[in-house]
Amino acid sequence: MKLLGKFFDTQRKQFSEGGKLAALYPFFEALETLFFIPGTVTQKGPHIRDNLDLKRLMSFVILSLLPPLLFGIYNTGYQSNLASGLTPKFADAFIKGLTIVLPVILVSYGVGLFWEILFASIRKHYISEGFLVTGLLFPLTLPPTIPLWQVAMGISFGVVIGKEVFGGTGRNFLNPALTGRAFLFFAYPANMTGETVWTFVSGMKTASVDVVSGATPLAIAGIKGASDLVESSLAEAGFTYLKLFWGNYPGTIGGTSTLMCLIGAIFLIVTGIASYRIMLGGVLGVLAVAYPGYVLSLFKGNPAAPMLSLHPFYHLVLGGFAFGITYMATDPVSAPGMNTAKWIYGFAIGALTVLMRIFNPAFPEGIMLVILFMNLFSPLLDHYEIQARLKKRVPNV
Amino acid sequence: MISVLVKKGHELHVAGKPSQEIETLKKPDSVALLPEKIPFIKPRLKIKVGDRVKIGSTVFEDKRNPDIKFVSPGGGEITDIHFGPRRIIKKIVVKLDREEAFEDFSALDETEIEIVEKFELIKAIMSAGLWPLFRQLPFRNIADPNVTPPAIIVSLNSIEPFQPSPAVYLTEKAQLFDFGITILKRLSDTVIVSSSAKHFADLDTLSGYVTHLCKGPYPADDPGVLVYHTKTDPAQNTSWFIDGQDVLLLASFLKTGKYPIERTISVGGVLAPEKKHFRTRAGVPLRHLTQRHPIDEKTVRYIVGGILSGYADTGDSYAGFYETSLLMIPRGAEKEFFGFIRPGFNKPSRSRAFLSYFNPSDLPMDATYHGEERACINCGYCTDVCPVDILPQFTYKSILADEIEEALAHGLLDCVECGLCSYVCPSKIELFDVLKTTKMAYYLEQL
Repeated sequence: MKLLGKFFDTQRKQFSEGGKLAALYPFFEALETLFFIPGTVTQKGPHIRDNLDLKRLMSFVILSLLPPLLFGIYNTGYQSNLASGLTPKFADAFIKGLTIVLPVILVSYGVGLFWEILFASIRKHYISEGFLVTGLLFPLTLPPTIPLWQVAMGISFGVVIGKEVFGGTGRNFLNPALTGRAFLFFAYPANMTGETVWTFVSGMKTASVDVVSGATPLAIAGIKGASDLVESSLAEAGFTYLKLFWGNYPGTIGGTSTLMCLIGAIFLIVTGIASYRIMLGGVLGVLAVAYPGYVLSLFKGNPAAPMLSLHPFYHLVLGGFAFGITYMATDPVSAPGMNTAKWIYGFAIGALTVLMRIFNPAFPEGIMLVILFMNLFSPLLDHYEIQARLKKRVPNV
Repeated sequence: MISVLVKKGHELHVAGKPSQEIETLKKPDSVALLPEKIPFIKPRLKIKVGDRVKIGSTVFEDKRNPDIKFVSPGGGEITDIHFGPRRIIKKIVVKLDREEAFEDFSALDETEIEIVEKFELIKAIMSAGLWPLFRQLPFRNIADPNVTPPAIIVSLNSIEPFQPSPAVYLTEKAQLFDFGITILKRLSDTVIVSSSAKHFADLDTLSGYVTHLCKGPYPADDPGVLVYHTKTDPAQNTSWFIDGQDVLLLASFLKTGKYPIERTISVGGVLAPEKKHFRTRAGVPLRHLTQRHPIDEKTVRYIVGGILSGYADTGDSYAGFYETSLLMIPRGAEKEFFGFIRPGFNKPSRSRAFLSYFNPSDLPMDATYHGEERACINCGYCTDVCPVDILPQFTYKSILADEIEEALAHGLLDCVECGLCSYVCPSKIELFDVLKTTKMAYYLEQL
């Protein structure tokens, strides 16, 4: 530890003004502060400061991402081994999962960090810890079969267009990770949608199956069941409520398990890092839209939109809703800053997600676009709440 | 008695609380005036180095209103006038004689105070240099003697850590305090005496004077917070306020006709050698308060005034005109290995991201940022603590964009300069400094 401290002290000369690597100072600073909280002393204003800093805040988001990440690694390996006819034992599956997921994460971090350092060096500002979250969130929303060059494209788009062109962290109005994913979604739909992308199959030549058909639960729920109940058609395909809750089915790397997202959400709420208003608002939004439709379909029967007959609780575990509302919607930069606005924002995300699922069967998974859509509205929501609050003040000018 | 509930704010649990014990210190060798620390005034010196002054002799006056005088807190010889950059007067040091002489002012007793003309009373207070004790919201400048204030607020104590306890400085001064309130009543029809609920029980017999009880965390008992939560009309924005201890000064001056030189100063903070109250002189050298103990100057941060709202100074400076506390906390320039991921049982934080959330004891705090400055991520922690419902994260952005009208609409002038927004900011943005300097600039523009 002391050695490391000395190392940074001796290397500082190279990176500071006039040094050979002065342009890379932000990188040096980021690396040093990763190991050491600097002992900078307050100059003015309040003489003492809270211990919470952005590094701890962001590292807590990463901690909360560990359950979906670890489960995602296991599940990816498990599904892959299952489809490839290999043993789906825990250890094997986990190692297999690592070989699939780790390169994706490394590419995401590596390429994203390159852009971060480039922009930070030119703009002479610090590398924000927010990227550590973006760089991990992004791969978790991708299918396991994603080509690595597309990962690089996606994170580049997310970081550069989603964030840096607007001035960097804190000035972006869209969630960078979702911007990157949306880019891939529209630019390379073949690798992002369909039935074959959700399971990484290895050793195709020797495997007994040559095509792995893995329609996502949402696709099944949306298309089938014109006559039957959606629930039963889901069950026929093997998707019981419990399975959807656990998340051990093919899907995006980190987004399948509602349970793991729930653990992460509880951690974030207990530590006060993410807004419970957005998360609860989202859940309320889902239920508020899904319940009336469900009750209606109970009386009417055989409705035009089959999804209406799905029990509202299914909407909470289907697709990427849990992951989206826990980790994506609560990004403080792109979410509103006012408390009531947060409720409305979360509610609208939940409500729009369900509306999209019910009435647009061709496009069942809408949480990504819904969050990006609501990102656009958060300044407006903030504006109206601030105006309403200012009216209550006794003026002082 | 009216209860005022303030929900927002933050209770600091800092180790190093001064005890209720009080010790009377011997006379120091010298005392000083610090014109630099009195906001907004333009001092014009009336003395020069080598001049002899009495207690109460005018040392400098405000160029903007020469009737506002600042007088010497000691009798003796002016030994040093210290100028800073751009000839700002930093300090005026008076070396004390063994036997100090007093300037004579006219005294007023209980019956005279009731019949004396108001302008005569103001003139008397101004001639003895005590007028600056009255300050005016929202800019906290010296009150304008030509207007009648909507209210005068006496704030009896501060729940900001380590301020002198009214239970200490009001002991055996009940009569004097009563006289002080009588004086204030001549100046304004509404005299508000506010106390925080936390210290209300300590007030004992004086509790009858309290008109407003402020419930809530720091800074619930600040006069600005009180005005914000009770005002019904914009006219109340310009209320005056005076510290509880300063009411005693006013009363003692009018009673005796002599400039009051006694101050009760609390000394706290983990590095303070003796954490207690001291009865000593106005403008006392800070060293005098810690004289019996060697201090390692490299590791200590001297703060004069509140731990959040006070100013940093060096050990060889002097106590200011308004400030009645000295805090000594560690500077703490140590780097911390992997600090951001430690459980932090001993790291105080408003957030729940440290185990200190479960630690009820007072924790030592040092003067480091505990992080680096980053961009604002709109987390809204500052809004959660602002006692007067400003939205610091939006307001400071509008200030940076030069949208001063918007900042004013947000309530910039209601800002009570408590410093909590900067304290909680995880991005370590100097919100407090931005708001305060903008407010000061706005005041200067209006002149």
